[in-house]
Amino acid sequence: MTVLDSILAKLGTAEPWVQKGGVYWLDPCPLNVRNLAKAMNALSARFVTITAYQLPAGEGFRLEYHWDLDGQMLGFPYRLSGNSIESIYDLCEAADWIEREVHEGFAVDFLGRDYEPLLLRPGDKLGVNLREEVVR
Amino acid sequence: MSYKIPMGPFHPALEEPYKLDMICEGETVVDAKLHIGFNFRGIEHLAETRNYVQVIALMERVCGICSNIHTLTLCQAMEQLTGLQPPPRALYIRVVMAELERLHSHVLWAGIACKLMGFKTMFMTCFALREKVMDVLQAISGNRVNYSMNRIGGVNRDIPDPLALLPVIDQLEREIVRTVIPILTTSVTARSRCAGIGILTREKAVSCGVVGPTARASGVPQDLRRAAPYAAYSELEFEVPVETAGDVRARLLVRALEILESCRILRQALAKMPPGEFHAEDTKLVFPAGTAVSRVEAPRGEVMYSVSWKENSRNPSRVHVRTPSFANMPAIRWMVAGARLADTPLIQASIDPCYSCTDR
Repeated sequence: MTVLDSILAKLGTAEPWVQKGGVYWLDPCPLNVRNLAKAMNALSARFVTITAYQLPAGEGFRLEYHWDLDGQMLGFPYRLSGNSIESIYDLCEAADWIEREVHEGFAVDFLGRDYEPLLLRPGDKLGVNLREEVVR
Repeated sequence: MSYKIPMGPFHPALEEPYKLDMICEGETVVDAKLHIGFNFRGIEHLAETRNYVQVIALMERVCGICSNIHTLTLCQAMEQLTGLQPPPRALYIRVVMAELERLHSHVLWAGIACKLMGFKTMFMTCFALREKVMDVLQAISGNRVNYSMNRIGGVNRDIPDPLALLPVIDQLEREIVRTVIPILTTSVTARSRCAGIGILTREKAVSCGVVGPTARASGVPQDLRRAAPYAAYSELEFEVPVETAGDVRARLLVRALEILESCRILRQALAKMPPGEFHAEDTKLVFPAGTAVSRVEAPRGEVMYSVSWKENSRNPSRVHVRTPSFANMPAIRWMVAGARLADTPLIQASIDPCYSCTDR
């Protein structure tokens, strides 16, 4: 059993990894982001970043969580129909700044955490950097 | 009684703006908050309005020191999308450029660190050495800062006679070994200013997800050149220096040893450079819809680009950049906690922060 297979066993899914564009993707991921963070922490994986995409025509957002396991990049995409998802900051300190940046750039709410402004921006406006329209 | 000392946005040591609010009791820092964004240029958004040629020139301007690394990472991602393979010679030229850039970055950082320690003479010596590294970069690329070397499927310029550069690298290494390395490794002053300050424990380094020399100085042996080799690194021999003390001196030692390893890699890459083309055949590129991720070990640590394309579009639909300073800078809060106020400029500088990279 390879390391990647053993991860699938630990995550409790039969979905295969799809290697594409330099990443092993697990889509859909059977765990929510918090349980995924716990599982990745247990494997001593390193959190790398979250890449956010605004989907067209009000379809919400796609957040891709990237973790590194011994040089292999693992990707876990999550589709948000609204604009909120649970924060993993309390489980993974490394996610602090990127959650704040996605919050400011896309106006996505990471539930269960407080924010302090990360980047300089006009007043309390959110989503001014990367969203196509400012929603607040 | 505690009081707040704001440092920045004009930093006492570094030439870029950011702000650190330090809560102090007497001369001791008990907590700190970082504020970034003074250099925010909206580059990720701007990238969505540029075609696949223009976006390379744009991303080269994310950072003024590791500009080559940004285009390398971006081009690797776009090569994954298009399926265009760089020829072997291009992979070696990319290694040469990446290691020269690491040399340049580490020697520049050593100069700034020496200035902060009170070694003004060493600052001048380091910057004179840096000029020589930049001369080599200019001889190869024609440019001193933004080298314009990387393209999709290879590099823009050949190194016609790689063996002619070997004596230059030997000379550079001799000068660095004679001047910079002894100061960084054995000088009593450097030791007294750097040992035991700005400690980032291994546990905290893992928890914060720090990368590059900052991680390796805290006993985390991660290096993408070894863990996930790209370009021609899998064909070259080198060590990954790791220190365990986690203090400023450990970060100093790791970079000093990495300078020597870079010279070792450069010699091998120049000597083993295969003949042949240095870029794939010129052709109009068609990007399929999809996302590709590429990572490279920059002088400050891991750079990651996630590049997405819509079918038949000339422009990327998303370019996300995760720079090493973005991962390393939050750890400053833990490094300065408990430190003397006078040590905090050196502690902040010890991670070699790049605010342009961080803000993008």
